[in-house]
Amino acid sequence: MSDRSRRFSAIGLGLALIALALAGPLWSQAKVGGSASSGSITPAQLTADKSLGSRQAPITIEVFADYQCPQCRNFYETVTRQLIDTYVNTGKVYLVHRDFPLSMHSHSHEAAHWLNAAAAAGFYAPVEQALYDKQDEWGPTGKIEPILMGVLSPADMKKVKLIESTEGSQLDAAVASDIAAGMSLHVEGTPTIFVHHAGKTEELPTGGVSYPLLKQYLDYLLQH
Amino acid sequence: MAGTSPTLDTSSIAASSGHRTGRALFLAGRVVLGGIFIYAAYSKLHFAGSWHLRDYYFFFAMAINSYNMLSMAAVEWMAKILPWFELALGTLLVLGIGVRWVSSALTVLLLVFMAALTRAAMLGLEINCGCFGYNSQKPTTELFHDSGLLILGLAVTIGAFMTQRARRLPA
Repeated sequence: MSDRSRRFSAIGLGLALIALALAGPLWSQAKVGGSASSGSITPAQLTADKSLGSRQAPITIEVFADYQCPQCRNFYETVTRQLIDTYVNTGKVYLVHRDFPLSMHSHSHEAAHWLNAAAAAGFYAPVEQALYDKQDEWGPTGKIEPILMGVLSPADMKKVKLIESTEGSQLDAAVASDIAAGMSLHVEGTPTIFVHHAGKTEELPTGGVSYPLLKQYLDYLLQH
Repeated sequence: MAGTSPTLDTSSIAASSGHRTGRALFLAGRVVLGGIFIYAAYSKLHFAGSWHLRDYYFFFAMAINSYNMLSMAAVEWMAKILPWFELALGTLLVLGIGVRWVSSALTVLLLVFMAALTRAAMLGLEINCGCFGYNSQKPTTELFHDSGLLILGLAVTIGAFMTQRARRLPA
């Protein structure tokens, strides 16, 4: 091989390495499931990011919740987790989260804002669980970032922070959009649960939705 | 033929008029109370714009469960039968069948509802009353409504027993 061709090979290899170095982060970002990977964040995309299961599921459950509300935490701990295991992961239910921060809770709007940032980065499920599990820690203080840092790797936290700083207004617009949707459905408190099946929508009575009763109802719907 | 001028027995006329007013009030109270219970049953079977004859029980069970005072088996049993029990008692009362016992049963039922609401209010529970559909109300508001119904229930029950007693007395 001549010196000239060796020089060209070295330049080519160098350029290839540079291209690889530049493409690497972009590729890893594209692997993230949230809407941030598509380059733009809209309320509709964020709703999809805050949903679990298959859109083709026969039943859709829409939950209007406030991360600082104790009843919402209780609903998440005693109903949602089992619902995800038994009905969402098996393709029977599509579970949609809607933010409905109540004015009585001083940090719930902020929590919803951060959750949307995490959802846009593709980390909805672990962050939701952390916010409910550690509600007693961040609720009185409003220190939400440490809760996220507890469940996300430094690199993932960096992505969430980047989205939060660059798309903050879009995240707030998504929360506002959920609130508006709730108002149009006459949602007054949290958690408020709507079940959509076969073109019909039913609101479940507040306060008494236990997993055994919900399971009976879902099994009934799946048979009809 | 000696003419005898007819004497007006004003006291019997007044008594008769009082009887009629009392009977009318009793009938009105009976129909209103029975009607309210029929409506209570209807609102548990027909809501959100459609009949729920096959799945009403899931919704009502969730409402009862919000009181957090009964076992799941008791919640399910009560959710299945209570709307039909209310419908039966309300219909019997409107039709005037077994009024003493029916009105007594409704009064006892109202006392049970009020005890449950009082407990929920004292514990600060966010309940869904389930009394007339599923528009969640504060326990105190529902207690106010039930107090009015209890007064009506007591009045109808007392009226029913008094009517029965009057019938038994010799004329």
